[in-house]
Amino acid sequence: MTTRKNQVRKRDMSFANRTMTKIWQEIPSEQNPYLAEACRCHGYDILELAQKRSFSEVLFLLFQGELPTPEQARMLEFLFVSMINPGPRHPATRAAMNAGVGKTTPAHILPIGLNALGSEYLGGQEVEAAIRFFRKNLRDSPNALVAECLKGERPHKGDWHIVPGFGSRFGEIDPMPLKIIALLRTKGSGQAISWGCSFAEALKPYGMGWLSTGVVAAVLSDLGFLPQTGAGLFQLICAPGILAHGLELTNKPISAMPFLDEEHYVIEPESRKK
Amino acid sequence: MLSNLNLAKSDTFFWDEKRGVIRTRKGGWIPGEAVYCHGFDMMENLVGQASYFQVLVLNATGRLPERRLADWLEAYFVCNSYPDARIWCNQVGSLFGTIRATPVSAISAGILASDSKMYGPGTIQAGVKFFVDAMAKKRGGISVEEIVLSCQRGPRAKPVILGYARPVANGDERIEAMERVTKKLGFEHGEHLSLAFDIEEIMLEKTKEQMNALAYVLPFLCDQGFSVQEIYCLLAALVYAGVIACYAEAADQPPESFFPLHCEDIDYQGKPPRPVPA
Repeated sequence: MTTRKNQVRKRDMSFANRTMTKIWQEIPSEQNPYLAEACRCHGYDILELAQKRSFSEVLFLLFQGELPTPEQARMLEFLFVSMINPGPRHPATRAAMNAGVGKTTPAHILPIGLNALGSEYLGGQEVEAAIRFFRKNLRDSPNALVAECLKGERPHKGDWHIVPGFGSRFGEIDPMPLKIIALLRTKGSGQAISWGCSFAEALKPYGMGWLSTGVVAAVLSDLGFLPQTGAGLFQLICAPGILAHGLELTNKPISAMPFLDEEHYVIEPESRKK
Repeated sequence: MLSNLNLAKSDTFFWDEKRGVIRTRKGGWIPGEAVYCHGFDMMENLVGQASYFQVLVLNATGRLPERRLADWLEAYFVCNSYPDARIWCNQVGSLFGTIRATPVSAISAGILASDSKMYGPGTIQAGVKFFVDAMAKKRGGISVEEIVLSCQRGPRAKPVILGYARPVANGDERIEAMERVTKKLGFEHGEHLSLAFDIEEIMLEKTKEQMNALAYVLPFLCDQGFSVQEIYCLLAALVYAGVIACYAEAADQPPESFFPLHCEDIDYQGKPPRPVPA
């Protein structure tokens, strides 16, 4: 083994003196430069926005730099309400509920649930991947693409997310995303939603269709959000439900959730003793 | 426990089998009997006998490693415990401290911040894949130079390989330190690690970039037989001690006194003031 000599050299890099943003401007108080006298979001005074615009409109502004059209605002609002809660069986919500009943500091409940919801499977990373999938394939034939994707190897057990945002849930097509997408289409449908519906239709004979992550990705894609916003926005959309379920259990006894008895917590014999 | 009522017509047998029950090969606590851990009685066989890092490896992989491998791993954790509040994940710790978030949330957030494509555990999956693929190519008769050149992003571009560049500095003081530990604990360079050094020679010639700790540690752990997922699990909390150092210092000072900013310290480059349209 050779003895290695330390040859660490600092790079000749220049770092910014000040952090840059195009989103938010804080006008300093004349008396105290640490305090802001006024705040502007992409040029609009935040207090004026608070009086004239909805939460989802200002959210759109934050990420895209301009206020949405009325149709875009309706689509985003519908998405926020219809996806407000992944439900008490989603692993991310369950993580928050476990933390809640386990009496964690209430401030930790939401970060715990949202960390879980950043996942590759039914989580934020799948939304991001699905937005990229739409951007890459919107010009291709959905039927041909389904035929191509079906050549992939189906998992031996469990569900198959054949592409990000589409697949089966507990062995078949999840009905709720399907209903949400049907209602979204009545509010005006962009390219990703329309194409996704054709893609889901072609998957139907194989027991697969829209997943909740695909629906969110299609709407965000049609609204012009970049793929990298997908994970965080999905977390934001689902945050209220996750927090509500977690908090619901914080003041309940630990017996309010299952703690399996030994009959139902099965330690395989080889793991008990060598 | 749960009702057996099943109204679904679909074939849900795969999930039904798992409903209401947890089956584990890891272990668990049988109150009044024992805490089982991969075939060991934790209180009898592990506590006071195995090191924390041995148990960490056991829990992540199901295999109890020899003590020297756990000690090697612990040394690498020490290598990543820089108490420098400029480092991205550590500054997260400082910021949590200055607003009195809890130390647990600071550590969790700092570890999350290190799950990065630039440094920390977030680089592990791509890094291990590179070394495993490179090893397969070498075994298939491809030269080290060809392996390096296959990492060019264009015909005239310099090859870019994860583990052979480092933010802020070129070179890595952790390698020399870990080499001492490797030698002291009696480990030899395995085929992955030897390949990593061979790649460095070519990279130095073509890009002047030295290997960083990632290109030392990942091949070493591959040589020890760990899979990519096992390595990701083992190194997940790598930056924890550095984060807690920065958290502790900031939490010990008056609130919001860590690296405070004037409004003008933020360089606004966005749109000028405008009225909200009706």
